[in-house]
Amino acid sequence: MILRLLFVLLLCLGIAHGQKPYKTIDLGQFPAETVDNVVIPVPSEIFTVLDKLGNPNWRGELGPEKNYPASPNRAQVALLLGTVIADGFVAVEAEDSERVKEIGRNVLTLAEVINVRKSVVARSNSIIEKADAREWNAVRREFDGALQDVNQAMLELNDAQLAQLVSLGGWLRGTEVLTSIVKDKYSRDRAELLYQPMLVDYFNRQLDEMSPRLRRLQLVGEIRKSLGRIGPLIKESRPSEISEKTVTEINALATQMVELIRARP
Amino acid sequence: MNWPACQFRWPAALLVLLLAAPAARALVDDALSFAYEAANPYAERGWIIREDAWGGDLGQGDKKAVTAQLFRGNSYIFFLATDIDGAALRVNIYDAEGNLAENKSWQRGRFAYAEIKPRSTGTYYAIVEIISSPGERTGWALVYGFQRK
Repeated sequence: MILRLLFVLLLCLGIAHGQKPYKTIDLGQFPAETVDNVVIPVPSEIFTVLDKLGNPNWRGELGPEKNYPASPNRAQVALLLGTVIADGFVAVEAEDSERVKEIGRNVLTLAEVINVRKSVVARSNSIIEKADAREWNAVRREFDGALQDVNQAMLELNDAQLAQLVSLGGWLRGTEVLTSIVKDKYSRDRAELLYQPMLVDYFNRQLDEMSPRLRRLQLVGEIRKSLGRIGPLIKESRPSEISEKTVTEINALATQMVELIRARP
Repeated sequence: MNWPACQFRWPAALLVLLLAAPAARALVDDALSFAYEAANPYAERGWIIREDAWGGDLGQGDKKAVTAQLFRGNSYIFFLATDIDGAALRVNIYDAEGNLAENKSWQRGRFAYAEIKPRSTGTYYAIVEIISSPGERTGWALVYGFQRK
């Protein structure tokens, strides 16, 4: 009887041990390939935090009001599409329904150039419809979804590298806006949002591994150079210690890259 | 500990699987349905559940890491599921130094859950593990959601 009880006790202890997570793990044992695959946050994740940090001048952050003509440079169009989707989030924050609708239409135009129009038609219509109804949370979700749909459609077309450029364009425009808002009313809490070393490394790695054809493009080369300068700026501080000077420097680099992306070919 | 070499994002995984093994695809598809099923009640309570997901298949005792950028000011929830009856798995969240960082986690049958309110913005790792399984390979899918909190 005692032996049986002991056996049950040991079994229970064994199960409990098996289900208890380790307090620490050795990340040094992660092979490099594991880090290649990362979860890119959707823009909503950052904007929900920003919502809490005061009331930024979102209208001041809206991008130029223009329709984008078709460009023969698909890499530039992919980057541009990312920036336009990020602009959609800014317009939502500014609660500017006309601008949101215009951006929804621009998403469609650019998606057509890179053959993924079909995958975003429903999103684009929904963005326009929900902007009319001023359902801002729903519009945010549609923009998040548009980014994911475009990425998935490109992967299905074997255009993974263009999909990466869409994500990069969105991240660059998001970083430009974020740094602008943070430097406008600097606080360490706000600046901490910029602590994204893993994402900078991830985008850098993707650019390094792009096909020679894409890497040879002047625009991609310039972005690669500037992104290479952002990494050390982010990593030199602890998350809660990113200085105002660093924010200003990152903003200058991000602004420069977004201007290049928007420039006519 | 020997960490597995590859981990893939759902759309990429989908493509690979479409070209490869239909059986494996079914495993992950079903696991994904279960993961969304677990997440659904949270979506109804205002959590935003991401539309993309991560998945694959693992042997018993194997682990995978999903790397994520999390922001202080948000709360995050991770749902892990498998379609294999009798399998037990878990997901735990670690910070960039390898310290357990989650606020809560549980494991019930084919489902596992972890919740974190990050103390600082930065890189985190969702470690997926198959504790036990009647099958040689166990399909798994991970979805996550977030909320301002």
